[in-house]
Amino acid sequence: MNEYEAKNLLKEYGISVPNGVLLETVEDVESVHLNYPLVAKVSSEKILHKTDVGGVVLGIKDEKELKNAVRELMEKFHASVLVEEMLKGGLEVIVGVTKDSTFGHAIMFGLGGIFTEVFRDVTFRVIPISIKDAELMLSEIKGRKLLEGYRGIKVDREALIDLLLKVSNMVQENPEIEGIDLNPVLLMEKGLSVLDAKIIMGR
Amino acid sequence: MFEKLVNPDSVAVIGASHNKNKIGYVVLENLKNNGYGGKVYPINPKGGDILGFKVYKSIEEVPGEIDLSVITLPAELTVKIFESVAKKSRFIIPIAGGFGETGEKGKKMEEEIRSIARKYGARIIGPNTVGIYVPSTGVNTALIVPERSRFPGDGDIAFVTQSGALGLLTMDSVAMYDVGFSAFINLGNRVDVNENELLEFFGKDSKSKVIILYIESFRDGRKFMEVVRNVSKKKPIVVLKAGRTVRGGKAASLHTGALGGSDAVADGAFKQCGVIRAYDEVELVDFARALAYGKPIKGEKIAVVTSAGGVGVVTTDYIESEIRGIGMKMAELSEATKKRIKEEVVPFASVENPVDMTAQASDDDYDGVLEALNRDENVDAILVYALFQTPLISERLVDIITKWHREGEKPIVVGTIGSEFALRMMRRFERNRVPVFPSIERSVKALKVLHERAKILDYLEGEE
Repeated sequence: MNEYEAKNLLKEYGISVPNGVLLETVEDVESVHLNYPLVAKVSSEKILHKTDVGGVVLGIKDEKELKNAVRELMEKFHASVLVEEMLKGGLEVIVGVTKDSTFGHAIMFGLGGIFTEVFRDVTFRVIPISIKDAELMLSEIKGRKLLEGYRGIKVDREALIDLLLKVSNMVQENPEIEGIDLNPVLLMEKGLSVLDAKIIMGR
Repeated sequence: MFEKLVNPDSVAVIGASHNKNKIGYVVLENLKNNGYGGKVYPINPKGGDILGFKVYKSIEEVPGEIDLSVITLPAELTVKIFESVAKKSRFIIPIAGGFGETGEKGKKMEEEIRSIARKYGARIIGPNTVGIYVPSTGVNTALIVPERSRFPGDGDIAFVTQSGALGLLTMDSVAMYDVGFSAFINLGNRVDVNENELLEFFGKDSKSKVIILYIESFRDGRKFMEVVRNVSKKKPIVVLKAGRTVRGGKAASLHTGALGGSDAVADGAFKQCGVIRAYDEVELVDFARALAYGKPIKGEKIAVVTSAGGVGVVTTDYIESEIRGIGMKMAELSEATKKRIKEEVVPFASVENPVDMTAQASDDDYDGVLEALNRDENVDAILVYALFQTPLISERLVDIITKWHREGEKPIVVGTIGSEFALRMMRRFERNRVPVFPSIERSVKALKVLHERAKILDYLEGEE
């Protein structure tokens, strides 16, 4: 499933994603009514790691830049392009799902960036989770202080707990899901937004 | 369910032997020496008698049904005679290795004995197992050299293990503390009876106050969680799970798969069903003893009593530190407690926490301090060091601490440090079912585990 489809599935389950549109041709740019700055991303289920292959253009300031970015991506990848409003500030976290051979579907939560890459500061629970489980997940990662408001960065803990429960519910209702990466999820003072989403379906 | 496995009315040994080094002899010797009271049927085509037991030439000659049949023959022979055994037996323990662990041919033999057992309604423990050991009924199918190791006596701990050797070594390592077990069962290759059924059984067994499990792979993870969630509402389950560093099978294209590995998922699952996790064989039994004898610690505030200042200081570090410690709190003693300790009990002592009674402390001083701490609302649990090296302390201290453990409101953990004499006192505490540990770190970890138990009970409350 490509990013656009993944985000539509998330939206069905009441999970917030940035405002965006899927463009099939360069001409479609004219119909874009979004607030700049924007981000343009190649949208193809074949390309899992877009940034690595130069499939993402950030900080697009106006329609001219947008047209150039979309044309470039389409020529390079021969695929549709997802254009979204670019969100900033807040704290990045990662929420994921994996299918374990012993316990089945499990949900993961961790802080984004180097916290997951370097410190592997993540925690798992088997799906379905309860609200108690979600709260314990938040409180048992080593970087938990960052979720309690650190150096003036306030984040919406309730929204994060809600996200974990919604993802758990989504997987329960769609057991054919093999894996999910919501990375990053931007946590803001109020609410959150899933900036990038990968969902892999089993056959 | 498994009553007649741990307490069989009759035991047959198929492959009974005159040779003292053979398992077919040792099992009979174990039954005789451990005072097993049921009927014993050694089976060997040569007949005669072994250790005073009449030998039957075939299992068909044995009158009536058999509760437990132990097959001490090699794998191929085991398969060959399996049907004749299954026809008459309720439980069968094929000891031999050389089954599924050796490859495809062995797996086929396992499939064969499983289907035979199913046909006759018999249940298999193993194969490739040291079998079972039940101190209270005298059933013991394990082969060890008695001059070099010891089997523990009867007690409160039920032990289920996938590895027979690690299980026997673990029991041997604690036998000198007089730690007792209600039962020991080695799953072996687990072709039939699995950990989930045994957890359910020991969950209902009133003799077992705690269940410990050594496991490398789960038969059915979801079922495990369901069983444990039910059992751990009533009694604690401690799990030593190996394979922490093995990454998940699919080195997935997604981040989440790569970050987790199966152990991280298992860890989460444990938290959701109330497993207490141990990381080695020492923790496995230490935690079991703490949980079997001690009371759950609801709060985080610990009072420490010692007659050695340094012990109190190191303990404080271990209690309060998150790194190499348990991240709990030292209790702020109430003014009333301090006054009581200072004026009525030990004027020479430090009445801050840790309460250092110094080398001048006597047995009665301990009594007074434990009474005062038991009345203090700021104290959630007491760690008391029973140090027998000073002149005014006697063996009576064991009785005094035992009294407060039994009659006092606060959970108590006892630490002791020393050599032969301390070990002797540890045994007395153990017989009194007082949780006692031979080092600072192990004593403090016991506090943590009892606190974890309280949190688990809290977590499981209100669950469906």
